[in-house]
Amino acid sequence: MSAMLDLSLRLLAWLVLAPLVPGVINKVKAWVAGRQGPPVLQLYFDLARLWRKGVVVSTLASPGFVIAPAVAWVAVVGAALLLPLAGAGAPASFDGDVLLLVYLLALARFCTAWGAMETGSAFEGMGAAREVSYAVLAEVGIITAVLTLVVQSGSISLATMFAPLPGPSSALLAVGLFIILLAENCRVPFDDPNTHLELTMIHEVMVLDHSGPPLAMILHGASVKLMLFAVLLAQAVLPLSELPLPASMGVLALAVLLTTVAVGLVESLTARLAFRRVPLLLTIGFLFCLFPLLLTWMGDI
Amino acid sequence: MTSALLGAAALALVLACALGARPRLWLGLNSLGTLSGLGAAASVLTGGRGWALKSALSLGGENVFLALDALSALFLTLVCLTGGLGALYASEYWPDDHFPGSAPRGRSWWSALVLSMGLVLTCANGLHFLFAWEAFALSAYFLITLDRERSEVRRAGWLYLAASHAGTMALFAFFSALAAGVGTWDLGPLRDRPDLAPLFWLALMGFGVKAGMFPLHIWLPSAHAGSPSHVSAIMSGVAVKMGVYGIVRFSGWLPVPDGAGWTVLGIGCASALVGIVFAMAQNDIKRLLAYCTVENVGIILIGLGLALLAAAHGHPVWGQVALAGSLLHVFNHCLFKSLLFFGAGSVLHATGTRDMSRLGGLWRTMPWTAALFAMGAVAVSGLPPLNGFVSEWAIYQGLLKAVAQKGETFGVLPAVIVLAGTGALALGAFAKASAIVFLGAPRGKTSGHAAECGPAMRAAMLVPAALMLCVGLMPGYFLNMVQACIAAWTPQWAASAPPIPARAIGGAHTALACALVAAAVFALRKVRAGGIRRGPTWDCGYAAPTAHMQYTGGSFAGIVTGWFRWALRPDRRIRRVRGYFPESALALERVPETVLEKGVGPAARVVMLLADAARGLQHGRLHLYILYVFLGVTALGMLVFQGGM
Amino acid sequence: MNDYLNLLIGLAMGLNLLALGTSRLPVLIRAVGAQGVLLGLVPLVLEAHELDWRLVLITLATVAGKGFLIPGLLHRAMRTANIARELEPYIAYIPSLLLGAGATIAAVALARHLPLLPEHAGTLHVPGAIALILTGFILLIGRTKAISQVCGYLILENGIYLAGLLLIRSTPILVEFGILLDVTVGIFVIGIIVDRIQRAFDSLDTRKLTALHE
Repeated sequence: MSAMLDLSLRLLAWLVLAPLVPGVINKVKAWVAGRQGPPVLQLYFDLARLWRKGVVVSTLASPGFVIAPAVAWVAVVGAALLLPLAGAGAPASFDGDVLLLVYLLALARFCTAWGAMETGSAFEGMGAAREVSYAVLAEVGIITAVLTLVVQSGSISLATMFAPLPGPSSALLAVGLFIILLAENCRVPFDDPNTHLELTMIHEVMVLDHSGPPLAMILHGASVKLMLFAVLLAQAVLPLSELPLPASMGVLALAVLLTTVAVGLVESLTARLAFRRVPLLLTIGFLFCLFPLLLTWMGDI
Repeated sequence: MTSALLGAAALALVLACALGARPRLWLGLNSLGTLSGLGAAASVLTGGRGWALKSALSLGGENVFLALDALSALFLTLVCLTGGLGALYASEYWPDDHFPGSAPRGRSWWSALVLSMGLVLTCANGLHFLFAWEAFALSAYFLITLDRERSEVRRAGWLYLAASHAGTMALFAFFSALAAGVGTWDLGPLRDRPDLAPLFWLALMGFGVKAGMFPLHIWLPSAHAGSPSHVSAIMSGVAVKMGVYGIVRFSGWLPVPDGAGWTVLGIGCASALVGIVFAMAQNDIKRLLAYCTVENVGIILIGLGLALLAAAHGHPVWGQVALAGSLLHVFNHCLFKSLLFFGAGSVLHATGTRDMSRLGGLWRTMPWTAALFAMGAVAVSGLPPLNGFVSEWAIYQGLLKAVAQKGETFGVLPAVIVLAGTGALALGAFAKASAIVFLGAPRGKTSGHAAECGPAMRAAMLVPAALMLCVGLMPGYFLNMVQACIAAWTPQWAASAPPIPARAIGGAHTALACALVAAAVFALRKVRAGGIRRGPTWDCGYAAPTAHMQYTGGSFAGIVTGWFRWALRPDRRIRRVRGYFPESALALERVPETVLEKGVGPAARVVMLLADAARGLQHGRLHLYILYVFLGVTALGMLVFQGGM
Repeated sequence: MNDYLNLLIGLAMGLNLLALGTSRLPVLIRAVGAQGVLLGLVPLVLEAHELDWRLVLITLATVAGKGFLIPGLLHRAMRTANIARELEPYIAYIPSLLLGAGATIAAVALARHLPLLPEHAGTLHVPGAIALILTGFILLIGRTKAISQVCGYLILENGIYLAGLLLIRSTPILVEFGILLDVTVGIFVIGIIVDRIQRAFDSLDTRKLTALHE
């Protein structure tokens, strides 16, 4: 019974807190630009409004157009539930659950690409092609980061995987995972969530034709994914498992907030990369994950 | 029991060979044969005890010796499954009305192929194994060239035959050397004869050709693409696995040399990566699936290579996990690849083209095929909650456990990274294949008047789909089945089941599947309740989108093919837009059979090239001269270093 | 002491990758300059327990030369030649980066197998030197602009310098002298090459030198 309660609490936390993350990012951006900016809770209002609306569906689209966002949303939330939360551990933990997490995110990506291709729009095809291609490099980076943690902790289950890394490795890994976070969540400098130049986008261009409740699912799923990566980054880099439960939760929340602010700052201070340079930055992210792996493997040089 | 079932299977298949001219009778006999074969395999797999028959009957101077243990039973399952389903599929796909000449011939050869593959799996005598192998290769050849009016098909068949015989040559050497070393043609475990270890290289080469591992895969794409779809399905799902079977079988029975594990792992990585990159670049849907076979054989070999490493270093934990994943992937790949080839065949049947840039929007006319193909695509990309994830996950687990152990397993790190990249690329390739063919608007006239396939073809697709779901939701049952095979591979690992949390993943998959279905139903209802308005695709305000503006397969894959241009070497024809009112522009990109056309072909002229290359050393480019200096200094350094040690 | 040494050399190795991954010449030159400064400080760290004025002087000279003088000259050459980007390298940036990463890994692996003195064994000193040399070669081979090649040469030279520092305890004066000589020769060579190429071809693209080969 308590297991069910635990699971529902976590589910609630993920679902309710996640939309805060984009809100904070937008607030930071507004603050840097000297504007008032939308309220932090803006995404909640948007979601509520979208949820009540009807949908406009392309004449070309199949029922998959509505099913795909729902499946992607479930996949992302499922992946988030697998992630342990600092001292509180994970609701279900088994050997290799980390791979399930990675592949659930991949399932979400497949569905988003599928939904984009439903409409037969050239722009959305472009977005889907970019999404699946750049994800190759990002996924390689994530698996490399996972390997680092596996080598350090000797465990292949998420619950026991986040062993403290030595300083230099953890700094490098933080940078690498941050770059991957930006790429996987389509933030600047990989993609601009606010742009309206369809030719230059990845994620936003894939959801151009969605509206109403499916769009709400997509937006909410994106915020959950962003928070998921922030939590993953914080736990991979910080030695949270050594702290007592309340302290570790506090530090985790603080770290997620810091990551969010960092995303906002990067977004305010840098320009979007030219598309042909995206793979270069992703390769750099991969290398930032690769070197801690090698450092950890060797132990001492 | 097993003997009776196998006997019935053989008898029914022999009769089916002879009665190819009578479609209904043939279908009944073939189904009977494959079903009883399936029963025999299942009884061996679940009962755990092998079956053997030593007879006094002599054939070619050797006594008949047949055996079926768990390992060969696993492969026999594949043979019977696709052998039965393909026959059902063919009865609608390749009917007598359209192909009065080739349909009866195809039916006879089909049963011959199933029978000979069954014999390959049961023969425990080297000489008879070779006979069966040759019969298998020949019947496959006649099936590939069923449509022999087309020159493309004749060329593909010829290439297959040549490659296959090159492999058989290695196998002749292998079995003769084995027989000479042991003193008998009978096959069986010989793990205590280290002097036989070098023979592994011959087996790897001979079986590797059939398995389609890189770079011996040159025959595979054209043979799979050109043949009728049910033949492609059995070639890709089963025939290729006979090569894998050979490698697994003899690496288990014979001792393997040092370095065998690393070699197989390396070949696996190369096949996986090369296969999926080429798959991504294809515009022909069946060729895409064919290259994906190379990728999946690579994944299987990664698991096998890791198991060999584990056996060599004495680490049963990760070896068992990896081998379980690898063997389960053999089974899984047969399921989803049969489904995908059946689906591609159904598209080809309805539209008459395999070229993805002429297809599109087929979900409207072919909803069953579209849904089942999409399911196959999800499975082959290794996504939960279907079967592909279970086996890839087990292989990954073996790799990660090996990594977690540190020590001498440094070389496993690149394999994990390659596998990760392969997985993501496979997702891209199959997002492309399913989306371009089934979604959007029809790109050509062909897909406009397509029609859904009939009940026989649909049933042949539904069975593997249901099995895929079973493996995904109840992996424990199938992993137990594979455990018997591991015990047959090496008795040392028989004691304990591989430490795979099968129940956990099964539970997670079931929960996920329920949540997915619930969410999908809920979303559909919610959207219906809120009201749906239909309108043209928004397309950023562009007023008149046409089907030709959609992203095509080539453009979808463009980014990835750009990264791998150095390996793919595409032929490109581009006529750029000129002037203010341009009349026409053109961009064509075709990825050739690069390894064949640009690797193997030119290798024949290598002597000439060598002579030319020597002249090219003197060219005046400063950078390269510096490279020479660097290489020279490095070589000297190595020499000194070697001397110093 | 080893921590500081590893930090300095580790950062220098990171700058290698920056140098390989960038297409902008100012960034490349700055990376090489920063690397020079970092490596110039290495003798101080190595001999921290017995500092004397000569060592400090040498360090200052090296830092000034490698970190400021040569980059300054290169900046000027770049401005006069009016180029800011390397546009068509022989080896593109992602492959260069991956090669560089491979070279770094190979350097570390190789250094573990070399018969080193115990005081050098636990540090990045030897791997760093090898990685620098390899990176220099990659830049020399993979780039077309003379300025990038000079930067490659400088990184190569940095590697040789770092390797030379291994001997600092046995033959200090000689090493210092050698370093100074290196620096001087380097400046001369660069100045002359860049000037000549610029004057003769109106460009710093060394591919045009191929025209000379017969």
